[in-house]
Amino acid sequence: MRLPITGVGAVASIGRDADEIFTSLCAGRGGLGPMRGFDHDLYTGTQLFEIDDRPEPGVDRTLRATGFLLDAVGQAAESAGLGDDLSDCPVLVGTGLRELRSAELWWRDGASFGPERLHFGTALRERFATADTHTFSNACSASLYALALGADMLELGEADTVIVAGVDSITESMFGLADRVQPEPPGALRTLDVNRKGTILGDGAAAVVLRREDFAGPEGTLWGRLRGVGMTCDAKHPTAPDQKYVAEAIRQAHRHAGTRPADIDLLMLHGTGTPLNDLVEASAYAEVFGEDAGGPVVTGIKPMTGHTSGSAGVLSLVTALQVMATGKVPPLVGLEQPIEEAAGFRLVRDEEAGHEVSLAQVHGFGFGGINAVAIVEAP
Amino acid sequence: MSIYVTGVGVALPGADSAAELAAAERPVGSVDPAAVLGKKGLRYKDRATQLGLVAAQRVLTDAGLLHDGTLTTDGTRVAVLVSSNLGNVDTACRVARTIADEGTRGLSPMDTPNASSNIIASEIAIRFGLHGPNLMVCNGPASGIDAIRWGTALLRSGRADQAVVVGVEPDNEIVRELVGGPVADGGAALVLEHADAVVARGATVRAVIGGHTRGADVAAGFRELADGEPTRLTGWFASGAAAKALPSELPGHDLAAIWGELSGALGVVQAAAAIGGFGAGTDGPVCLVAGSDDDDGSAALVLRPPAPPAAGPDAV
Repeated sequence: MRLPITGVGAVASIGRDADEIFTSLCAGRGGLGPMRGFDHDLYTGTQLFEIDDRPEPGVDRTLRATGFLLDAVGQAAESAGLGDDLSDCPVLVGTGLRELRSAELWWRDGASFGPERLHFGTALRERFATADTHTFSNACSASLYALALGADMLELGEADTVIVAGVDSITESMFGLADRVQPEPPGALRTLDVNRKGTILGDGAAAVVLRREDFAGPEGTLWGRLRGVGMTCDAKHPTAPDQKYVAEAIRQAHRHAGTRPADIDLLMLHGTGTPLNDLVEASAYAEVFGEDAGGPVVTGIKPMTGHTSGSAGVLSLVTALQVMATGKVPPLVGLEQPIEEAAGFRLVRDEEAGHEVSLAQVHGFGFGGINAVAIVEAP
Repeated sequence: MSIYVTGVGVALPGADSAAELAAAERPVGSVDPAAVLGKKGLRYKDRATQLGLVAAQRVLTDAGLLHDGTLTTDGTRVAVLVSSNLGNVDTACRVARTIADEGTRGLSPMDTPNASSNIIASEIAIRFGLHGPNLMVCNGPASGIDAIRWGTALLRSGRADQAVVVGVEPDNEIVRELVGGPVADGGAALVLEHADAVVARGATVRAVIGGHTRGADVAAGFRELADGEPTRLTGWFASGAAAKALPSELPGHDLAAIWGELSGALGVVQAAAAIGGFGAGTDGPVCLVAGSDDDDGSAALVLRPPAPPAAGPDAV
């Protein structure tokens, strides 16, 4: 399959649209800062990659994730020429934490909140007149899982155009439980570095507009084409990843795409910076790619965006499309000494690299051992 | 490609099977996961996950996919889809309050997996060794029927041979306050299967998946499905505002009036009850409706009484 991607949108700590984010990424400018919505006295760690949209420091409000999502979907729809009426367009949203942050504020502080806003359909309906929207809560691979289902819809002829998005705002429960077991919170997120100390969460949302190959709709910009997505489940451990099924997701993506590892020019890592994720991810990639593992340039966005959970996969995909459009590759900032398992990889270090990319592979892995890998080609 | 229901599992207070569900008039007692699954491994799992595991064990057993605790099919070809809106809301809320009261020192690391909403789907995969696509659908009132829809999509796209579809909602102080009343504290499950797989393993067909709509208008969706169905619809399942939009001359079943708030479990529990009805003499297709015109959208699905797939290439 070769499904045209005709619109993109994104928001993150380092930019309010896809271009701003990409400019920051290429400049090596990260979004880590003192946390703005949670009480510093209650935590060991006090830094996060947040979007700065709270009324004032230390004061939180409900429905921030919903706002990020509406921004990203609105940008993607506009750039694809779809306008603000999406009544005929399914919208598939991948998220790790839904509006659970709002539920926390409701229960703890008495903030106004109802069950109709735990999922994103209500807000999408109000803003875009949608009636076929789906909130998938698939942890940190959620938006790539949604991408697979959106692509399948087009392939099965169930729609002409779909919007696939991802979104998350940090919940205090998820941050707090991670903080509980980190006596020394990481000062930076250092993907693939021997001295990586763990991940740091971030806010973010991203969206793409996908079309059927034979559908003549609004023009938009042809950003690239989706070739295939693989999905697997470790079925082994609630939080620790399993190399076998991570590798299988990569193989499955290539089977769907009809491509081989040697065809890949760019790998966008999941790269959370946790000791285990990076080890398993590098090993699975090396296992599948074999002697071709030194071919693609390898990078990731999380050292600068933080781990934006369910939105991370589509945010990485949008970044891959921008690499294709510009030839610029954002670096893995903070990477000083790569782990042994990444020896021989063409890791992008310190400065942006100029590189022509025609085929990219994007990783997303999540709690529950759910793995998704997408392959996308340049226009 | 026709999609068949080849297993039904029920885990509701006082109803352990499709037949009991179809006949039930009120909840009796509560579901005891330890009695079904054994105590081992349940200690730190939240209530929604435990209920999901009960429904999953029952449906896999009913479909003949689980025998003496062993999977009888290729686990890499089995997808898992779980629908729940309220599943881990209690964990998130409780943890946030504990942090405010005691800081993170007051937290138990055992809560960490439960902070992620997909814990129910991943624990079902882990317990039964199901490596296919694993999807957690948290999509509001229509979520249960949406999960069935995505299960059929995964079969039609060739990503799985069987799809285990589970709908569960837990009852606790926090979700009661959120939804304004008691929650079902249970759910149901289906095994969906495509024709080739049904024929290959000689599975028993419990129902056939018919037409599906999703939109903003319950009455219009129902009319579209009724018009597209070769035989006359014999009844419907719907709750609340959706029930008022459906033809009163047909027998209607409001399961939320019996079980309390079913939320994301609704569509799956409706399907299980309809299949119980097929076993008790319902001899024509029925329409399930979840969500109403007051919500962000509604889904409707026709379920037909069992008819085995024809053998041979025509079956696809």
